[in-house]
Amino acid sequence: MASDEQQQTTPKRHKLSHSDVTKLALRSLLNQSAFNYELMQGDGYALSLIPALKKIYGDDQKGLSEAIKANTAFINTNNYAAPLLLGLEASLEENGAPRSTIDGLRIALFGPLAGIGDSITWFTILPIVAGIAASFAKQGSLIGPIIFLAVYIALFFARIPICHLGYSVGTKSISSIRANSGIVSHAASVLGCTVIGGLIATYVTMNVKLKIPVTATHSIALQKEFLDHIFPNILPLGYTFLLYWLIKKKHVSPLWLIIITFIVALVCSWLGVL
Amino acid sequence: MSISLAQGIWISVFAIIAGIDFWLEGFYIFRPIIVCTVVGAILGNLKLGLVAGGLTELVFAGLTPVGGTQPPNPVMAGIMTVVLAYTTGHSPATAIGLSLPFSILTQYIILFYYSAFSVFAKKFNEYAEKLELNKFRNLAYGLTLLVGLTYGVLSFLCVYAAQKPMSNFVNSFPGWLSHGFTIAGGILPAVGFAILLQTMLKGRYVPYLLLGFTAACFIKFGNLMPVAVIGGCLAAIEYYQAVRTRKIKNELKEIRENQNDGGDSDGI
Repeated sequence: MASDEQQQTTPKRHKLSHSDVTKLALRSLLNQSAFNYELMQGDGYALSLIPALKKIYGDDQKGLSEAIKANTAFINTNNYAAPLLLGLEASLEENGAPRSTIDGLRIALFGPLAGIGDSITWFTILPIVAGIAASFAKQGSLIGPIIFLAVYIALFFARIPICHLGYSVGTKSISSIRANSGIVSHAASVLGCTVIGGLIATYVTMNVKLKIPVTATHSIALQKEFLDHIFPNILPLGYTFLLYWLIKKKHVSPLWLIIITFIVALVCSWLGVL
Repeated sequence: MSISLAQGIWISVFAIIAGIDFWLEGFYIFRPIIVCTVVGAILGNLKLGLVAGGLTELVFAGLTPVGGTQPPNPVMAGIMTVVLAYTTGHSPATAIGLSLPFSILTQYIILFYYSAFSVFAKKFNEYAEKLELNKFRNLAYGLTLLVGLTYGVLSFLCVYAAQKPMSNFVNSFPGWLSHGFTIAGGILPAVGFAILLQTMLKGRYVPYLLLGFTAACFIKFGNLMPVAVIGGCLAAIEYYQAVRTRKIKNELKEIRENQNDGGDSDGI
């Protein structure tokens, strides 16, 4: 069948033990260790995975390096959802799922998981726990901070079952993924690209502040009355494509893109454009 | 009341720990309710710390670092609320307001780090390429430590060494400069997406990118769930379409082979 052609001669992958997955869960603490605006949690996410990937790839140095590099890509998710993704990804890696499938799934999942995770941890648990704890603390009672700390230490260790859950979901779904790997990776790319489109609209923000005077008393706000009427977020989309074009066609290094972006931001701020 | 050198140092040490915890979002000891309590204990006035902690926590309950934004810094707000209430004799509620310039200054420094650390993405990639994994790890640890030490130095300056100059400095920040950092923070994710697209985007996926973009523009919802569902539907449609195409292709192949067989047998 078509799937057999995909298998080629990939070097043997090694299995993770139960405690390896637990370790991976605890290492999810490093998810934000190298946080930056370009890749968000990317490098930290890869750092969390490194011991697991090392074991999975064994002597396959090239595969290991490719896997680590792929995992440094942009990711920004909720820190309690990260172990789920890490577990899922580890099981896909050890079962030899194609790179494009793994990357497509990770990119497709981190956004929705961030949404679910944030609404549970930041907008539900935190206000409730903080509210209860603060009411004790305001009366000068030590019970307040103790409750608060206890809840969050428990939540930290909840990362372990969350990571195992991701791992077992991956192991179960891998056989059906592999039978149709070409088609699945195509479908994953469709999902991934759709979500990236959504990410551009929500994460990249550019608001033009300029107003063009039409008459002495009336002026047009460039953003609200002009750009937003053509298409909302048209500037972020345009700027992202400009950068894409610079990387792909002009082979400009990402570092230069960052520097250019900085200069644009400071100049626009000084001129009052943005 | 004034603060002794030893107290200043202890607060700084705690600031390093809480700062790193905030950076990693690990155990939530960076929340004002914990920070204020600990600082109150260090200053020998646990009750003040608890009361200030309860108040500040409620103020910060709505200010959450979600989606890459950075609210006023909860660690510095917690520290300075207690310290200012302790030294000036103001009520904790007033001290929260007074602590704001300090937590905003800290916020700017963290924003600056978020932007500046983008520079190291290339280094990480290089280490991954050459499999220098210890260097990879040490760089990440180094950045985390740098953030922690910044908290330590800042809080030592704010708490002990130079309270007045610090708040003057914050207030003298030119508006366009701090605004420029905010703008840069808003645009920089575009660099990350451009790099992602470099490997993922093919001509036939452009329509999906635009669909996702348009959906996110017009569906006003707190997170990307609707876009992900739309993407999932599109992926499912593509999947079943491709499975069916494959089946048809195989059947066509079979028919063709049968025809050949038939032709041979007829010929005899």
